[in-house]
This record gives sequence, C-alpha cells and structure tokens, in this order.
Amino acid sequence: MAVAAAVNGGYLPSKFRRFTQPTVSQIRPTPPPLFISTNPNDINPIHLRDLYSVCNHSCHRFPKLNSEGRVEPVDIDKLRKALLHSYVVASVFTRPEFVPDLTPENISGSGLTGIGGDWIGKVVPVTPGNGELVGFGRAVSDSGLTAAIYDVMVIPSLRRRGIGRKIVQRILRILVNRDIYDIAALCSDQQKPFFGACGFGDDVLVSTTMMYTRSASTHSVDEQMVKCAGRKLLLVPSLRGNLKI
Amino acid sequence: MQMQTLHLVSTSTVASSSSSLPTIVSLDCCRCQASNQLPFPNTNLGFLKVKRQPKVSNLKASFWDSIRSGFGKNNTIQVIDTPSSEEEEAEEPLPEEFVLVEKTQPDGTVEQIIFSSGGDVDVYDLQDLCDKVGWPRRPLSKLAAALKNSYIVATLHSRKFSSGEEGNGEKKLIGMARATSDHAFNATIWDVLVDPSYQGQGLGKVLIEKLIRTLLQRDIGNISLFADSKVVEFYRNLGFEPDPEGIKGMFWYPMY
Repeated sequence: MAVAAAVNGGYLPSKFRRFTQPTVSQIRPTPPPLFISTNPNDINPIHLRDLYSVCNHSCHRFPKLNSEGRVEPVDIDKLRKALLHSYVVASVFTRPEFVPDLTPENISGSGLTGIGGDWIGKVVPVTPGNGELVGFGRAVSDSGLTAAIYDVMVIPSLRRRGIGRKIVQRILRILVNRDIYDIAALCSDQQKPFFGACGFGDDVLVSTTMMYTRSASTHSVDEQMVKCAGRKLLLVPSLRGNLKI
Repeated sequence: MQMQTLHLVSTSTVASSSSSLPTIVSLDCCRCQASNQLPFPNTNLGFLKVKRQPKVSNLKASFWDSIRSGFGKNNTIQVIDTPSSEEEEAEEPLPEEFVLVEKTQPDGTVEQIIFSSGGDVDVYDLQDLCDKVGWPRRPLSKLAAALKNSYIVATLHSRKFSSGEEGNGEKKLIGMARATSDHAFNATIWDVLVDPSYQGQGLGKVLIEKLIRTLLQRDIGNISLFADSKVVEFYRNLGFEPDPEGIKGMFWYPMY
C-alpha cells in the first residue's frame, strides 16, 4: 500500500484510502529549513521539470497517463516559456539532508559535522545554490485585475508539512501587494481541500468553471483541424461566416 | 566555493542606455561571499549588458544582477534562460483585422462590423460598453493595465458611412473578449461582452471562436473561463464543458 501510495504521488483512489493509516509523524510535523524564492532566475528548468515528474503533475489538464499512471515529462521549452510569462513564481528549496528520499550519493554534504552532529546543517542558511528544489507554484496575471494560480506542488515525501500553504501564501501576498484581488485557482477534486484551507472559496458570484473540451470524438465534422492537449484532441473552430444578419 | 566570472560588455548599439563606458570590465564574484563592497559604487550602471551565458551558469549571475538592478534607470541586464527572445516576438499572436459583416441599409448607408485582435481599445469606450451591459465600474488604470497585459484582446467595432465614402465613418466599439495566458499551457478567457443592440447575431460566438482558434494554434491547450449562470448554455454550445472531470475554480476570499 505504501509503495502504491508513493507511485501515485500520495493520491490513491478512494477505495484504497481506508487501508492507509497516516503515521504520527505525518500529522502536522514542522517543515524543514526552507528558502522560498520568488526570483525566476533561481529556477533551473531541468530541476523543475524533474520536480513535475516526481510530483506526477502535468501541465495539461487532461494528461495522457502511461501504464503506471505516470504523466509524460513536461516539455522543457514550453516550461521555459511559461515561466517567462508567469507573473509570480515561487520555488522552495531545502538542504538535501532534509529530503527523506535522497540516496546518500546524491547528497553533496558540506562535511562539517562538529560537536552536536548536524546542527551546522540547521544553521547554515539554505540558498538556491546549495538547496534541492522541493516545491513550486506560479501565478499568471494581467497585472491589473485578475490572476490565476497554477501548478502548486511539493515533493511527496515532504507533503503535509505546511510547505504548500507557504507557497500559496507567498504568491497571494505578492499579488495583493500589487493590488490584484481577483485571484482564481483551477483545481481538481483532490486539491479542493488544500485550497480551501488556504482561504479559497468554492462559490464565487455563482459562476461556473468551464473548459474547452470539444474534441473530434464528441463533435463529428469532417475537414476539421485538431490540436493535441494531453489526451484530448481539441477541435479548432474553423473560420466561417454564417452569421445571422 | 563557487566562482563566477561576469563579463560586462558595453556596446554602442544599446539605445536605451543613459551612459556608456567604453571599456570592457571583467568582474569576479564569489557567490558565497556576502560582500557589501560593490566594484562600481558611484557610476550609473545603465549600460550593462551581460554576455549570454550558457544556461547552467545563468543562475549564479542572478546574485549580482539583483543588487545591480537597483542602480541605474535604464537597465539592460539580460540574464536569459530561454533560447532567444527574438523567437518569442515572432510567436506572439499577430494582430489581425478584417471586415466580418457588411450590410447596406435601404437609405444607402453602409455598416461594417470589423473584427480586430490588435488590442487597440480605448479604455473609455470600453467602460461605456461595460456600462451598457450593466457591469460594475472598475478603476480605469487597472482596466488599461489588464488590457495591455492580456495575451489576446479581440474586439468588434462598427463603422457606419454613406456609400461612396469608404474612408470616413466613425468606429464604435461594440464587442470585446480578452484572454490571459502563460503563453505555453494555460489560458483563461475574461470579460466577454457585446453591445446589447448587437446581440443575438452570433457576434459573441465569433469572438470566442477566434480566441479559441488563436490559442489552439499556439498549442495552448487548457482554455478555461468562469461563466455567469445565464451564459453557461452559450459557452456549452461553443464546446465548453462545466466542471470537466471535477476540475473547479476556486477564488480567494480575503478574511478581513
């Protein structure tokens, strides 16, 4: 069960959930020493792409899943473009020794263990240069009225420790400082409790969230162009002039 | 300890610099040193243009850039992670403008409805249009900023002129739709409106379909919007699905 949970990034289908018991340490332990940066230059796109893969997060809303339920790696050029045009980015780093899953050879330790063991590790500040990327979030905005938060993620081994909430709160703080209060977040059913706890509400002016999903299978028209978006083949509307005059 | 060598090259073609030093300066900075001494304490650093570094070492350059960016008004420091920004410009949606509908009245006046995606919107016209459809007023400066920073702004104007006078005729804003995007994966459509006296003709459909077409052609696959209950059917007919696969939009409610 634990292995299955790890493979699925911590999210199991509901029928399995009653078999996994959260261990005591998983209930609100304190987060490790963190460094949250909102500087886009601190992000290495390749590390970020790996973070997306570890968290099994796809940039497509309807991703193609392989036989193990994993999503495809994010296209690195598109990721770069998305980062460039994101209004706010937040990346969370921590020292490698605090990441539970890292194997010893991955950890480039400073070798400074004096009296008291690893207190040096707790005291030396984390920087993007010496830290591991463990969390991320970004927001896209029109710099005036609205913003939308996307792609909030934390590696599975460091979840349930308040890191995700810190990411969202940092993004919110920046948006509010720039006078943007209309902030949306598109989230799946599993993410709703998380955003609810961060201060997001379900009912907003009773508006309905809708996404473009017209695909070749639902709408049969010949001679149509389709675009691939994850596992959906979206139909591109044709130029037509049948307006009622 | 990590050493980083930044080569600061001034070029005479940097048009936006306010001052330029004709020398090439090489700067060694150690990333681990928290040094308070900057090498150029008194000069205007507006000329700086960092040579393109290979992508991995770009990250280390940011330390000095973040300090230096506080100095000098016209800062042309570019630490670029993307392959080139010239490609970026070419991929922006090219503004289009064409006549959608042209009808001639019995008395000889011609009315054209012109579609445009150039984003050339007068903020005051837009506010008038918002008033006509009954939307609450929003600060004009925010409206202007939002229009400027939207990925696509599609507009419909109506132009009336008497036959024979093609060139003249006043343009009136009768419809608009805009979309924000991160240029790669996600886009959200906001602020779709059509003048009430022009509604019912399929103009809103054209606006949305054009937006979708442009977005999909740029490979932006996640197109979302937040629809008022009265217009859910309108969007459903255009291919939008409410809450697909349980995806919902949540909005932030400040608790004060």
